[in-house]
Amino acid sequence: MSSEAYRAGGLAATRTGSLRDSLAAVGGSYYWELRKLVAQKRSWIGLAAAAIVELVFLISIEISKVTPNDGPYADPMGQGLRHSGLALTPVVLKEIAYFGPAIIAALVAGDIVANEDGGGTLKTILVRSVRRGEILAAKALALFTYVIVALVVFAVTGIVAGTIAWGFHPLANISGTRISAALALALTFAAIAVYAVPTIAIASFGLFLSVVTRQSVAAVVGTIFYALALEGLAALPAIKGARPYILVTQLHAWHGPFQTPTNWTIIGHAIWISVLFAAPPLIVAWIVFRRRDVAS
Amino acid sequence: MFDPYYRQPMTQPEGSGRRPVEVRGLVKRYGRVNAVDRVDLTVESGDVYGFLGPNGAGKTTTLRMLLGLIHRDDGSIRVFGRDPAADPVTALAGVAGFIEEPRLYPYLSGRANLELLAALDLGGAGRKEIDEILELVELGDRAGDKVGEYSQGMRQRLGLASCLIRRPRLLLLDEPANGVDPAGIRFLRALLRRLAGEGMTILLSSHLLAEVQEVCNRVAVIDHGRIVHEGALADLETGGSYRLQATDIARAVDALEQLDAVAGLRRELDELTFTLGGDEDTVELTRALADTGVGIRALVREQTTLEDLFFRLTESDADLREAEAAIA
Repeated sequence: MSSEAYRAGGLAATRTGSLRDSLAAVGGSYYWELRKLVAQKRSWIGLAAAAIVELVFLISIEISKVTPNDGPYADPMGQGLRHSGLALTPVVLKEIAYFGPAIIAALVAGDIVANEDGGGTLKTILVRSVRRGEILAAKALALFTYVIVALVVFAVTGIVAGTIAWGFHPLANISGTRISAALALALTFAAIAVYAVPTIAIASFGLFLSVVTRQSVAAVVGTIFYALALEGLAALPAIKGARPYILVTQLHAWHGPFQTPTNWTIIGHAIWISVLFAAPPLIVAWIVFRRRDVAS
Repeated sequence: MFDPYYRQPMTQPEGSGRRPVEVRGLVKRYGRVNAVDRVDLTVESGDVYGFLGPNGAGKTTTLRMLLGLIHRDDGSIRVFGRDPAADPVTALAGVAGFIEEPRLYPYLSGRANLELLAALDLGGAGRKEIDEILELVELGDRAGDKVGEYSQGMRQRLGLASCLIRRPRLLLLDEPANGVDPAGIRFLRALLRRLAGEGMTILLSSHLLAEVQEVCNRVAVIDHGRIVHEGALADLETGGSYRLQATDIARAVDALEQLDAVAGLRRELDELTFTLGGDEDTVELTRALADTGVGIRALVREQTTLEDLFFRLTESDADLREAEAAIA
């Protein structure tokens, strides 16, 4: 072994406390958080679920006797089903908007800290050279990455399966304007990007529950319950005026890219409302995580 | 061939001239219970320090506070002169350890676990060093297997490896021999001796008193949150009890009664028991017996073991009676 290989006690001395130093710590931790997600079965189950929902929907349409203007066809973009494979993803997204991605996000978000707390690995990583806040930041980034990857898997599966079944053809958007297949493809990913924003806000609440409850099951169930409770709240006639400011309402902002002209207003609105919903749980989680005793 | 890490010249970080561990008046409360009650500990550089106590005595809680995992309610902790509660990352520079048992990711391989932890050390061990440390802990051939498939002993060894890749100057180990078979214990003992011989300071909490007695130079015994004994193990080996068998017991009694160094002299059948202040006093004793014409058949020092000390300090008479009754 070379002499430079061993620098006893010099490890933490390499921390300068600068922003760059901190970003490097978060970056390194983020990479390993992703590696951990890749190595866990539940991550793949979530991604598989995201893919399967598209396939199940496609098969059910193929074998159903639903006529145009019924069920999913009632959606303006539903008219494109059986005519263009690119209609599949927007239609399925509309059908599962309130609960599907919330479940997938909860599965990982609720577990990402609580699982390590319960398994005792948290105390293993907290005695190294990365600060607690940096570890939580890396976990949050990995969680958000997972949410985005799950949505991309969902979209790509729908596009590929839909194209195989019905072809790569132009279709009418939500405003009824006919758009090219290439544009529809690009807008599908734009819609997924918009949809990811409120989904990440739901995942942020899951992360908060994961930190505070220290119980994976409680955090996963709590996150799903949170999404459902917001949905129930949004349905209350008494607070109709507040509905645009509830997080789950933003799960429909993905319509924006599929409107003519592009509805930037609902996209921008969804972004800032989602940030408002995401920030408090993330801040509280950060404060609790930095301060709390890790005794397990 | 493994080239020992710990013989390399050390780059001394800031605070390296300070004591590895200095704890004063440490208190941790859980509700009304003082889990740790005004504990003072000093671990000097190069010590292999045994930290002993029955279950629930406060050992693990103390170690958790030393590693900055839990907050103290009162007192001070300095690790190489720094407070781990104020800034754990800086205070724990050159410090590694695990609490209760090493917890690693079961769905990652042994090597991947070490790579992960080295990454969290920011500039930690590279692949080559990791491979060498895996060889050192005799896990080289199982490094690619998932930790979930490891035995308890293998996980303990991987836990040690996870500490060594941090290149520590201070190693804090909480029950490192838990669940380890006799061969594993022998391996652990040899490794700790080697690390200590190469200058590493080790704070070791263990139930295996014989092991502690073999590898440690100082011990502290904690009971009900309080330190009830602290000192060098060498102190146990001096000032002990002696048994004497002589050619003429009556004249031997007369001779020993004249010596100031002899205390607690008792006759038991054909032998005498007494205590002496130290090894030098045995010289005076043998001369006195020779001067009176008494021949020595046997002079045996009854060494106080760590186990004797531990149970004397941590068990009440009621505990002893209960244990005897259970055996009966």
